[in-house]
Amino acid sequence: MSGCLAANSVEQETMSDNRYLFKRGQTWWVKVAVPRSLRQELGFDLRQSLKTQDIDEARQQRDIVLKEFRAQIATAKKQRDQGRACKAVAGEGFEIIAREDFSDVTYLLEVKAPLLAKAAKPGQFVIVISHDHGERIPLTIADFNVVRGTITLVIQAVGKSTREMQQICQVGTMLHSIVGPMGIPSHLGAQKVVCVAGGLGVAPVYPQLRAFKQSGAYVIGVIGFRNADLVFWREKFEKYCDELIICTDDGSVGVKGRVTLGLEMAMDKHADIDRVVAVGPPIMMKACAEATRPRGLETIVSMNPIVVDGTGMCGGCRVTVGDGIKFACVDGPEFDAHQVDFDDLISRLGRFRKDENEAMSVWKKAVGAV
Amino acid sequence: MAKKTIRNIPKDRTAIPTQDADVRAHNFLEVSLGYRQEDAAVECERCLLCPKPVCIDACPVNINIPAFIECISKQDFRAAYDVLTESTLLPAICGRVCPQEDQCEGVCTVGESLEPVAIGRLERWVGDKAIEEGWFNKPFIEPNGFRIGIVGSGPAGMACAADMAKAGCDVTVFEALHEAGGVLRYGIPEFRLPNHVLDAELENLKKLGVKIQCNTLVGRLFTIEEMLTEHGFDSVFIGSGAGYPSFMGIGGESLNGVLSANELLTRCNLMGATEFPKYDTPLGLGNKVAVIGAGNTAMDALRVSLRAGAENVYCIYRRSRSESPARLEEIEHADEEGVQFEWLTAPIEILNDGNGNVRAMRCQRMELGEPDASGRRRPIPIEGSEYEFEVDTVVYAIGTNANPIIGQTSKIALNKWGYIETDENLATSINGVYAGGDIVTGAATVILAMGAGRKAARGMKAYLGIRDSESVYESDETNGKNKLFGIDRSERTFARVHVA
Repeated sequence: MSGCLAANSVEQETMSDNRYLFKRGQTWWVKVAVPRSLRQELGFDLRQSLKTQDIDEARQQRDIVLKEFRAQIATAKKQRDQGRACKAVAGEGFEIIAREDFSDVTYLLEVKAPLLAKAAKPGQFVIVISHDHGERIPLTIADFNVVRGTITLVIQAVGKSTREMQQICQVGTMLHSIVGPMGIPSHLGAQKVVCVAGGLGVAPVYPQLRAFKQSGAYVIGVIGFRNADLVFWREKFEKYCDELIICTDDGSVGVKGRVTLGLEMAMDKHADIDRVVAVGPPIMMKACAEATRPRGLETIVSMNPIVVDGTGMCGGCRVTVGDGIKFACVDGPEFDAHQVDFDDLISRLGRFRKDENEAMSVWKKAVGAV
Repeated sequence: MAKKTIRNIPKDRTAIPTQDADVRAHNFLEVSLGYRQEDAAVECERCLLCPKPVCIDACPVNINIPAFIECISKQDFRAAYDVLTESTLLPAICGRVCPQEDQCEGVCTVGESLEPVAIGRLERWVGDKAIEEGWFNKPFIEPNGFRIGIVGSGPAGMACAADMAKAGCDVTVFEALHEAGGVLRYGIPEFRLPNHVLDAELENLKKLGVKIQCNTLVGRLFTIEEMLTEHGFDSVFIGSGAGYPSFMGIGGESLNGVLSANELLTRCNLMGATEFPKYDTPLGLGNKVAVIGAGNTAMDALRVSLRAGAENVYCIYRRSRSESPARLEEIEHADEEGVQFEWLTAPIEILNDGNGNVRAMRCQRMELGEPDASGRRRPIPIEGSEYEFEVDTVVYAIGTNANPIIGQTSKIALNKWGYIETDENLATSINGVYAGGDIVTGAATVILAMGAGRKAARGMKAYLGIRDSESVYESDETNGKNKLFGIDRSERTFARVHVA
């Protein structure tokens, strides 16, 4: 057995003067390992034939070549450090580069994720983890910008995790992880479309509405808020809507009433609407589905069930659609509103209410104590 | 020493020290404590070192089993590890999770008249010893400039990545979740496969130069086709697994309290839900848990439920114990820990408590009829045997289907069940793209997935025109010197390294 051979390469190298040298056939070569961080640019090692069979000559030659190699590595290092800013790979940290607070519960985060920004399509969502004990939070992509390499999330602080994110996710901090885009993108291809959104659905419907407009459709936006103070992104919506109806509960701006009122107004005015898209709380989507059902209008809703992995693996996001069960994360998240069992969805969203309350009270205590 | 024969070896296999059932049912520490050195020394004497070993062929990755056992009996443990690493990347994992009774131990010559040699336990012992001692066998790698993309960091992906890295390729593994390991991470619980063992094996993979990139959902972030074109991968391996849980389609499945075993296990293993609210992910498990199915995943779900604090845990299976697909050891462990088995029972409806939660399950007794296509006796319902069974949580562990994401986003050919179609070398319909593991075969075992990963790696090497490592080293032998690191070596294809 050659078990006594302590094949520690470093030890071996320092013991002989044949460092960096190896023989290929009868000829000596020199080879230097490239630092791990530079292997993408330079390969695993740098090597060159010394074109000699004589060991003494090879040793002299080696020192010259080594100098060149080291200069090469130093240059590559410099270039890498300069170019690092624009070369972020997915998974190398996701920096929050902008934040905007629309109200005391709604906030916007713009996150650096170039690959994600490039891949994202309207209707898709991401899963965010804010810290290493955090849960996986599904969030619909509210906007994406390929040039800036960012995606935008608009979040409502309703539970423990989203409240906590509201505190810790400041500009310059990193998200623990973000993965996506998940779900099947929205199907476009309608001529005249109404995009209805309320509450937490307003931001997610935006990229879809914009895509409809860009695809040449006539777009009617119906967005709902509780009052004028909570309205956001009005200009963004106006830019891509042929008609925009804003609904508020108290009538402080736009129409007084719920979004279904706005939807009815739009449907009464236009007889040739060929699709309605509704995004928002389940109860709102259900109301929209009921409003369009008598007219037989194709209506699409975006499901927001409880998700763990978002890749079809856990089945926590099951929704009843027609006679069957679908997984919102891979079969959706968009489904035919007239087929969806909303009562089922609402019931399933309450699955962890007890745990959510517990988490919230524990967290409040902890934050209060600090 | 006299030649070992079936008559002069110890009759019974050496018992493995385990945690007491009453204690372990309430903690997540590993159940089997593993052999001690003296146990291994006794057990390895039971191997007859057959001249024509059948166990090697029965092993999906063809470990030279008699050779490593002989090394143990010669007290050269490092050499035993060397033999294992020639064939498997993950001895500590395979020793724990392989169904050895159906593989190597199932054909063991000793097993024909006595209990078979405990090959799995010995393998695990060597694997653990290597982790403990910090042994690592660093192969001599000659970079060849090829870039390989691997989709999924589960056992198939890990095995393929290791082989391609050893062949000199630049390998990147993409994982959709935020931690690597695939089913070894989210599926197999801590008490069967401790995370530190998986972490150690993943570290070994990284030492081969493999890059692991988490949070990357291939298919949606970029497609398989884009990997080959835009991202410049020369060849791609898909090991995305069959993680898409099945449900039965009976009434009441959308009630709160009904979940898949995958969801339960992911919440516990990956998200730390058993330590809620320290970790943000809740578990939402009740006190009376029924798990439907009796495979390995079902056993894991049952035993996790016990540990998470459920008072009564039932295993509902429509056939009997002898038809159960789980490893024998897992059923025994579950039994000892207090899992209540309802054999020959099938659920027909899950009942609502009026608030959208599970109240009970309506079940039906079964009897066994003629064998079906799987060779197991077909369960037949007994008329009028229906009864109600009070539970508050129902966990489905009746298998999984193909994950649809790759199929949805690529033109790759699928079969009618959604699994990826491959030829005998595991090449798919896209040139340069290979697939293996559960996404090809449907849900199977860790070791089969690893075997598939290695087989695909052979196909990929042939596709790229890389000579197999063995032949490379043979031809180098004529030079008398090895190529990297300037050290002499004998016939080994790796350097023994110590990890601090």
